[in-house]
Amino acid sequence: MAFKGVDYYGIEELLSDEEKMFRNAARGFLEKEVEPLVVNAFHKEELLNMKELAPKMGEVGMIGATIPQEYGGGGANYTQFGLLCQELERVDGALRSFVAVQSGLVMYPIWQFGTEEQKRKWLPQMASGKIIGCFGLTEPNRGSDVGGMETVAKKNGNVWVLNGAKEWISEASTADFALVYARTDEGVKAFLIPRGTEGFTQTFTDKKGAMRVGDVGTLALNDVKVPEEDVLPGSTRVKHVFACLNQARFGISWGAIGAAMSCYETALNYTKQREQFGAPIAAYQLVQRDLVNMLIEITKAQLLSYRLGRLLDAGKAKHQQISLAKKNNVEMARMCARTARSLLGANGCSYDYPPIRHMGNIEAVYTYQGTDFIHTLILGQDITGIQAFTRKL
Amino acid sequence: MPDVKMVVCCKQVPDPEAPPTAFKIDPTVNKVTLPRDIKPVIGQYDEFALEAALRIKDKVGGKITVLSLGNNIARDVIKKTLAVGGDELILLEDESFEEGDSWSTAYALAMAIKKIGEYDLIFCGRQSSDWDAGQVGLGIAEILSIPALTLARKVEIIDGKAKVEQVISDGYQVTEIGFPSVITVTSELGNLRYAALKGIMAAAKKQPVVWKPADIGLEPSQVGIAGRRVKLAKLFQPAKDAKCEIVEGESPAEAGANLAVKLREAKII
Ligand SMILES: Cc1cc2nc3c(=O)[nH]c(=O)nc-3n(C[C@H](O)[C@H](O)[C@H](O)COP(=O)(O)OP(=O)(O)OC[C@H]3O[C@@H](n4cnc5c(N)ncnc54)[C@H](O)[C@@H]3O)c2cc1C
Repeated sequence: MAFKGVDYYGIEELLSDEEKMFRNAARGFLEKEVEPLVVNAFHKEELLNMKELAPKMGEVGMIGATIPQEYGGGGANYTQFGLLCQELERVDGALRSFVAVQSGLVMYPIWQFGTEEQKRKWLPQMASGKIIGCFGLTEPNRGSDVGGMETVAKKNGNVWVLNGAKEWISEASTADFALVYARTDEGVKAFLIPRGTEGFTQTFTDKKGAMRVGDVGTLALNDVKVPEEDVLPGSTRVKHVFACLNQARFGISWGAIGAAMSCYETALNYTKQREQFGAPIAAYQLVQRDLVNMLIEITKAQLLSYRLGRLLDAGKAKHQQISLAKKNNVEMARMCARTARSLLGANGCSYDYPPIRHMGNIEAVYTYQGTDFIHTLILGQDITGIQAFTRKL
Repeated sequence: MPDVKMVVCCKQVPDPEAPPTAFKIDPTVNKVTLPRDIKPVIGQYDEFALEAALRIKDKVGGKITVLSLGNNIARDVIKKTLAVGGDELILLEDESFEEGDSWSTAYALAMAIKKIGEYDLIFCGRQSSDWDAGQVGLGIAEILSIPALTLARKVEIIDGKAKVEQVISDGYQVTEIGFPSVITVTSELGNLRYAALKGIMAAAKKQPVVWKPADIGLEPSQVGIAGRRVKLAKLFQPAKDAKCEIVEGESPAEAGANLAVKLREAKII
């Protein structure tokens, strides 16, 4: 049966024709071309071949959707990007990660902080999926504490020399180039480093319990030389890093809805069919409570993300509002995955059903792009005026 | 032969992928009722027809006018035809168009095509994905007095004619047809391409033209249910009766023999 989505509050009526059309197109493409590849790959921890898939995704406009068309993007609004993320993560979080990283963490900073030449060089090729980029921020010793990053870049004439390491980087081993942040005398800067650059190694991290079909790995920088023309001139402060993170965090808030919808739908169908003690288990009050709780949380999350998309389009969203949606919706999806898994009984432990796969994936989402705690602290600081990130011991 | 003028007829139907149990029949009024969460789609054969036209446009150039008849046609569904590369969208949209038969539908479409005026090829799906009658394409050809070819799996334009591969029971045959003509398209042609974001954004800026019966020179009494020539006598869900009988025997061989006897008695073998 074709996936219908969850729409208890008539959100469909709030969407424009082009928003619905893009969502439907993405859904059709993913169901036919991608979904069949995911389940076995997840089980065996085989990576989806993004070199092959990305050009197909690029052709239908899934990459750089909100980037202007003159740079090869789609010129879409935030709600369209959000709906795309929903459909991607409904299939698998690693797909949404790929699109969010490529579009929000690599294309967006090049578009916002790059020179005209850099934009023309990278953006159209990235939008077409011919070139894959990765985003190197997290380090072995510095995760949430972005400002404390240890990777350094020193200027030597017209060339920057980078040393350090980046860990837990999506698409690390696949990427054709990396956007790497490093501390400099002039602030935190963003460097574009092509694959194969001397001193630059890209490796793959295996044995993951989450995002098993997605490439995640390490970038090592050993006296890597980057010419000035490959530095983004507009990105000089940590706040510029956060500008990119906001793009991806918004996408995550919708992606989480997709994962939750998949879990809810699976549980609803399963409990209506599975009989125990002489009746479908959906006939029991405890089961209905679980199903209803999922529906309520999904509906609330949809309303949050819908409103947030409209605020972003109007240029009125505060980054704290994005934090609220990321935190709430990921927690919601985590609850739905766990609940659906348990409603499926032992079958919930099988990769033949999606909840346990989403359950693994959503753990990564709970941590990356600002952990749940970090978003709590962002909101806490906003409402109290007191920062609680750092303390002196 | 550049710039082939094409009309593609596309019908909005309930999603055929919806589970059969979702479709209910009310025998008192002879109508199918659908739950609201079943979304409409473009009939799959009509999508193949559109793809046939798009391939011609890609290869030799042309203009594609999409024509759809119905009521409450969902814009986000039908505008997909523009998003994939259709140039113009005309909707015959009115309450009076509802519940027509193949005749009244073909008649209204033919009158609309006459109004469009210039056309070389008219593409239809081999049949609709809801009623499966498979008559509208041929009906249009008859009413417009132009030739038709059915079950096309490939259409090419060569020297101002259409070269068509038609599916037949044991393979395919190659035929040629001049302009103007009707071609009905079958699944073997291949799926409609995906709508890309850029196409969707461009389609969003176009508005479909809406024609009422009067715009194509017809009275409401000539279209839809009023214009039907086939009267629907009875619509019902066939009652399925399944019984299970275990055929026994002393040995598996004997059970098999007993089963064969039973099947022979029931005239199944
Ligand atoms: C699948 C996957 C893909 C990823 N992709 C990328 C990528 O593409 N690019 C990239 O740069 N990074 C990526 N990351 C890394 C991710 O962004 C980090 O894991 C995340 O920022 C958290 O950092 P950490 O793992 O070092 O945890 P830590 O920062 O060490 O946190 C550990 C725990 O301490 C808590 N904590 C930390 N500080 C505080 C505080 N002040 N108060 C209270 N609690 C606190 C955290 O909430 C958490 O629970 C990815 C991670 C995963 C799992």
